[in-house]
Amino acid sequence: MIRVAGLGKTYNSGEHPVHALKDLDLNIKPGEFVAVMGPSGSGKSTLMNLLGCLDTPTSGAYILDGVDVTRLGDGDLAAVRNRKIGFVFQNFNLLPRMTALRNVELPMLYCGVPAQERRERALQALSMVGLKDRVHHRPNQLSGGQVQRVAIARAVVNRPVIIMADEPTGNLDSRSGLEVMAIFQDLNRKGATIVLVTHERDIALHAARILHFKDGLLVEEEINPSPVQALPTPINTSEGAEGEVAGR
Amino acid sequence: MNILESVRVALEGIVASKLRSVLTTLGIVIGIAAVIAVVAIGQGGRAILMAEMEKVGTNIFAVFVDWRKSDEATGREFSLNDIDVIKSRVPEITHLSPVNNTSADVRGTRKSINAQVLGVNADMAVIRKLNLKSGRFFSQDDDLGKRRVAVVDESLAGDLFGRTEPLGQRVVINDTPFVVVGVIAKGDSLLGFGENPRIYIPVQVWTYVFSNFVGYLEGSTASKDQVTDSMNKAIKVLERRHQQPGLYQGESMEQQMQSANKITGVMTLIIGSIAGISLLVGGIGVMNIMLVSVTERTREVGLRMALGARRRDILIQFLIEAVVLCLLGGAIGMTLGVGGAFLIARLAHWPPLISWWTVFVAFAFSAIIGVIFGILPANKAARLDPIEALRRD
Repeated sequence: MIRVAGLGKTYNSGEHPVHALKDLDLNIKPGEFVAVMGPSGSGKSTLMNLLGCLDTPTSGAYILDGVDVTRLGDGDLAAVRNRKIGFVFQNFNLLPRMTALRNVELPMLYCGVPAQERRERALQALSMVGLKDRVHHRPNQLSGGQVQRVAIARAVVNRPVIIMADEPTGNLDSRSGLEVMAIFQDLNRKGATIVLVTHERDIALHAARILHFKDGLLVEEEINPSPVQALPTPINTSEGAEGEVAGR
Repeated sequence: MNILESVRVALEGIVASKLRSVLTTLGIVIGIAAVIAVVAIGQGGRAILMAEMEKVGTNIFAVFVDWRKSDEATGREFSLNDIDVIKSRVPEITHLSPVNNTSADVRGTRKSINAQVLGVNADMAVIRKLNLKSGRFFSQDDDLGKRRVAVVDESLAGDLFGRTEPLGQRVVINDTPFVVVGVIAKGDSLLGFGENPRIYIPVQVWTYVFSNFVGYLEGSTASKDQVTDSMNKAIKVLERRHQQPGLYQGESMEQQMQSANKITGVMTLIIGSIAGISLLVGGIGVMNIMLVSVTERTREVGLRMALGARRRDILIQFLIEAVVLCLLGGAIGMTLGVGGAFLIARLAHWPPLISWWTVFVAFAFSAIIGVIFGILPANKAARLDPIEALRRD
């Protein structure tokens, strides 16, 4: 799925070049749930940007789903982000003026999915995260946990090969955070490949493999044979839909 | 992203901040309103001017001596015999009259008035379409017989004779008595207002009372298509008869109309350009707000890029927003402009002429302004770095 060899990123912003990520070798297999941990400045954000094709490396190779993305131009990278990567952000990044449904439809607008299919797929994704009855709400009418679940629906709606979650629980209370982790684990059980950046060990323990970064280097690779299972707590507003997720 | 979706996003943005959108487009609104009103009023004014000229007659012409080419006036540039010769050589000219004009004191029963005394022949009634209120215009016999008859205009008659019926009254010009045989009705022409009081007398008498001299010729043809051609033929006849090539020049109503047309066109263009400047200013206003909007929505741009928007998609989205904003302003401006044109037309009593092409051009122009002034902000948005943009608050 992801094969990275000798990947590096150097910023030449000031007088001294900053080596944000150094000589990284990494393989992520399909269906893996990987957590990335490290203090700030450890290079985990840079890694996310590189793996998410938002940034291009200064050295090394990155093969995503069989494609060497380091050779791609701007437009092709946009297409890769659109079809192969689903982003979940710490600060949700929903468009405030749009309903949940239209927020979820957004990625499909950039690959020409017809309106009818767009709507159907968005509804499907929203019901999968238990928000079937919240589709016409705007972000400010939803709780933080619900907003992040909308964002997850948006991340998966274009059937990406990998989900990049950057501190997805960082702005949530612990209960909402666990709800979100339950959804990730559920997605993972159904075969989704997930890379999750966090600085909370509690959250990282939901993943089967934990990568520790420090000063731009992968310093430790921890195998977690028995990941913590986040139990999908019954969600007051949409129990039916939630049951559907939990039942699988 | 498809265009419809971009338009939808743009409209949502406009609705979400109504006051700002209205203020943003104010320059466009005023510009378009001004352009439409000015063009409509200009065209209405031109139509009125043309209608007035039609009323005077489009089939008339005059032949003068070009004084720049004649070192000194001999008084022999025209002769009364020219009239018959020209009419026989150029049969298209149906009516032709010499015109002698001087200002002199005219004494009536009530008082003496300084008036234009015109010496013409009987054809003049037809050439100038003189509308007689009472009596008759003098005839060819009156002219050839050198009868001392006169035709006065209505207002002069009132001044000369008060409430007394002017027909049959005596007026004295240069110690020569005349009998009033006709009164010309006051014209309703807008162009004729403020004309001097006039009195027409037979040219044969005029040359006797004043001096033996012909000022210029005025004539008319059956249709306006013949007028310039016939006028030029008449000039040729005169040149040959007086052996003075290049001495004469003519002016036809057709030419006058063309130059009037040109003048009103230029006027409309000038005022329209001034209105156009306000459109330019309006466009800069739109650009300004679009730049602010791009800054405000930096994170949205970053997000859209992360979700797979190409730089082109972002560029097009912001361009469409600018165009939608300008078209909105254009629509409001058009409503105001059309309304204003009707209002002014009603006050000025002339027809408001709003042609479809004006409306179309105004709309197209607002869209073009949107594109021109949207490019800079849209380009700024499209060139954002997605990582930076996503990090922005």
